[in-house]
Amino acid sequence: MIEVRDLVKEYRAGGGTTVRAVDGVSFHVADGEMVGLLGGNGAGKTTTMRIVATLLTPTSGMARVAGYDVRTDPIGVRRSLGYVSATTGVPDRLSPREVLDSSGRLHGIDGRLLSDRIIALTESLDLAGFLDRPCGRLSSGQRQRVSLARALVHDPPALVLDEPTSTLDVVGARDLFAMLQALRAEGRTILVSTHRLHEIEHRCDRFVIIDAGRIIASGTRAELVAGLPGGLEEAFFATIGGGAA
Amino acid sequence: MSSPHPTGGWPARLAIARRDLLEFVRDRRALFITLVMPMAMYPLLALSSTLGIRTAILELDRRQESQQLDFVFSGADAEPLAIRIGRLANREEGSPDGWPETVTVRVVDQLSAQSLIDEGAADAWIDVPDDSLSKLDGAGTLPLDVRLSTARPPDRRVKENVLAVMRGVADEARLARLRRAGLPTSLIEPLRIDFTGDIPQGSAAALRDILPAVTAAVLVLLALLTATGAFYPAIDAIAGEKERGTIETLLIAPCPMFDVVVGKFLAVFAVTLATLAANAISIVLTSTVLGRFLPGGIAASLRAGDLAACGLLTLVAFVGLAAVAAALCLTVTAAAKSAKEAQNTLTPVVMLIAALAGAALLPGAEGRRWLPAVPFAGHVAVAKSMLSTFGGWGDEGRSGAATIAQPATTIPVALVTSIISSLAITWLLLSVTAQIVANEEILFRGPEEATRGFRRPPRRGIPTVWQGCAAVAVGFAALWYAQGLAPREFVPALIVQQAVAVLIPLVAVAWWQRVDARETFALRWPATPWPRTAAAVVGAALLGCGMFVVGAAAALATWRGDVSPEAKQFAAQLVDLVRGGPTVVAVLLLAVMPAVCEELFFRGWVLSACAGQRPSSRRAVLAVVAQAAAFAAFHLLPERMPQTFMMGLVLGWLTLSTGSLLPAVVAHAVHNATPVLLVATAAAADLESPGEAGAGLPAWSVGAAVGCLAVGAALLAFARRTSPPKTDRT
Repeated sequence: MIEVRDLVKEYRAGGGTTVRAVDGVSFHVADGEMVGLLGGNGAGKTTTMRIVATLLTPTSGMARVAGYDVRTDPIGVRRSLGYVSATTGVPDRLSPREVLDSSGRLHGIDGRLLSDRIIALTESLDLAGFLDRPCGRLSSGQRQRVSLARALVHDPPALVLDEPTSTLDVVGARDLFAMLQALRAEGRTILVSTHRLHEIEHRCDRFVIIDAGRIIASGTRAELVAGLPGGLEEAFFATIGGGAA
Repeated sequence: MSSPHPTGGWPARLAIARRDLLEFVRDRRALFITLVMPMAMYPLLALSSTLGIRTAILELDRRQESQQLDFVFSGADAEPLAIRIGRLANREEGSPDGWPETVTVRVVDQLSAQSLIDEGAADAWIDVPDDSLSKLDGAGTLPLDVRLSTARPPDRRVKENVLAVMRGVADEARLARLRRAGLPTSLIEPLRIDFTGDIPQGSAAALRDILPAVTAAVLVLLALLTATGAFYPAIDAIAGEKERGTIETLLIAPCPMFDVVVGKFLAVFAVTLATLAANAISIVLTSTVLGRFLPGGIAASLRAGDLAACGLLTLVAFVGLAAVAAALCLTVTAAAKSAKEAQNTLTPVVMLIAALAGAALLPGAEGRRWLPAVPFAGHVAVAKSMLSTFGGWGDEGRSGAATIAQPATTIPVALVTSIISSLAITWLLLSVTAQIVANEEILFRGPEEATRGFRRPPRRGIPTVWQGCAAVAVGFAALWYAQGLAPREFVPALIVQQAVAVLIPLVAVAWWQRVDARETFALRWPATPWPRTAAAVVGAALLGCGMFVVGAAAALATWRGDVSPEAKQFAAQLVDLVRGGPTVVAVLLLAVMPAVCEELFFRGWVLSACAGQRPSSRRAVLAVVAQAAAFAAFHLLPERMPQTFMMGLVLGWLTLSTGSLLPAVVAHAVHNATPVLLVATAAAADLESPGEAGAGLPAWSVGAAVGCLAVGAALLAFARRTSPPKTDRT
């Protein structure tokens, strides 16, 4: 469903130099799979996610979602993808219902179909208690649920979530991952990034660890922690060569 | 599960517009500032200005009315003279022309008269001399001293009234003398004039005169306030979304970026239109109130129905303005990372809109030909023309601001031109906006990038093109202020102008930009060894001399003495300076100083910025033309511009081809020194009677100048061929 091959992204820096934020990254996420993209701050997670979501253009390499290439058919990618950013990206002055309504219309859905879709998302993500309240008055967890609902309004087969738990407390993060697992159970493909490894450790099918723009390890939890005394966090530090926090 | 629904197009645009409008409407503060503030502002503005207008109009009306004249007479013949005046005031055929409405004459002694006039209890005092009546009735001339009261409020009509009364007394005396001499009264009345019709007086005349100008000024204000309606929604539309972190989720909508931008534009445009409508309604209502508050003549002229029609016409003419303003604000704020940054970028937009809209107030700026296609200036001009035609203010074809009515057929053409131009400009701006928003280096740049252009750059060889343009812009601004700072005397003015407009901006910008002075200003010898340097310098001097004479001959042939007063004054000041002091001082001030300063600026900074390190032939030509155009524009007088432009081309070529500024400085100095030396050596008689204007220069002098040019060019070619320039700028 999501395929990334030899992905490179360079940014222009001051003094005419360039910075390579993503350096030859390759991985794939199979249909119905949930993959965690792990890495520290500045590792290249967000840049990779943004390229997959068509927000950035790769310098070289290839990224595809549902068979659509991010370079040649970004509209096709966007129609196949739901994107959740770390900031939630919900407007403060609109209600969740209005957010879902405008997002649905942007995806060409309207009328009865859109109403039914909003009702279904309200039930599955438990939005009923604040559906008509301005998003600015919602808690972080509620906002993140609205953001997830918006990403799902056009019923995409794939979801890309960039640090979705960064603003959430423990309970909010747990609820969110429960929802993601339910979505995976529906057959959706999920690529999620985070640097809070304990939240994700037992929830993803596979993990891709990225550091300084390169993939340094990938595999299931069992493969990554094999031979190590602790869990995923120890495996992560062992892989990137740092000490435990 | 991929969305099977068609996306993009108008449904997506309208969805974004609806979303943005909902957000804007719920921002009460922005809503208040954008829509409600103008409604509150106009009454306040009107109230403050109306008090002044009302006072002025009442004063005008008062001056038009016949007034009361309070006379006080003293002296032996005061009483008979007062009786005569009373008789004139009450005669059957009416009072003489210009006679005040009421004339009061008091006869008192001198002391009382003095006291009355000192206290302001009377307008004028005449101490009537003895035997006045016998002189008046005889054949002599009666001298009268009239003392006006200075204690009374100043009123020019007092003097006119005194003269009117005394003219009546004199006319009566004149007629009496004719009758006594047996001559017909027609002897002193060869003409009798009767007027038919009436000229508007007082406030009615004032209204007719000021209404077009006031309307044009209100239209400029309306243009600015309409544009301010776009500010908040435009800032919120893109920069605000970036600041709130909501832009990413919008940019992954399955539609082209242009659709996203059009959706945002529609929201901004809707608010701008609402602002326009709110302002127009406020103006119409305020004008209606003003009409009732101001004196009767104006109230009758400002009918509510007409005002509403004017408001509608303005709305029609300004729809395009609202679109362009909305698109422009969206474009300039698209690159901003935050609302604060976006606000900063809008300041130049306000200046641009004010300047363009204000240009429509210039005499002759009418809504026809190409002007309707110019944004803001065209919109105001078209609205002005529509209103003046509707209001009939220009029926008499008076010149001046906003007074020439358009033929009926040109108004629709102008309106259609304005609308088509607005659509094209809006589309262009939206396309640019889409490019900016889609530019990921702008979208995801760090906050420090916004001020990159204002940071002091690292050391570099030569300035960039933008730095060259910035120096010219600063120089032009400085030139403008130099006109105000410079003293009236010619010599100090010259020095201040060169220092403020050329040298100070140049030093400041060169210091800030940390360029290599030797490279930027081409500070090197034009050729080696020294005989070739001498050849280059002599060649440049000959070029300078030849350029002046040929340029002067061309100017004389073109203008034939028909030059502006400013040009004549400039020439006279030059002659005075040369004839009034030592020639060496004149040469230093008029030749050496401008040559050094202007060459460093134009052939140094501007040329090196435009040409770059290793210019291609095309870029070198463009650079030479650009700096020559700036050089010509700096000389302000239109008559001098062709000559200075050609000179700029030659000096630019000279600098690029020799790689040195020295030949250009020498050529410029000799060019300016030539007329100084000619004036200094000419006989005074020749300068006082220079012969027929436009007669042109003698053929031999033009021939000699062409010879100088040829020899100079040959010498320069010799110096250049044998010693190739050592710069990258060739």
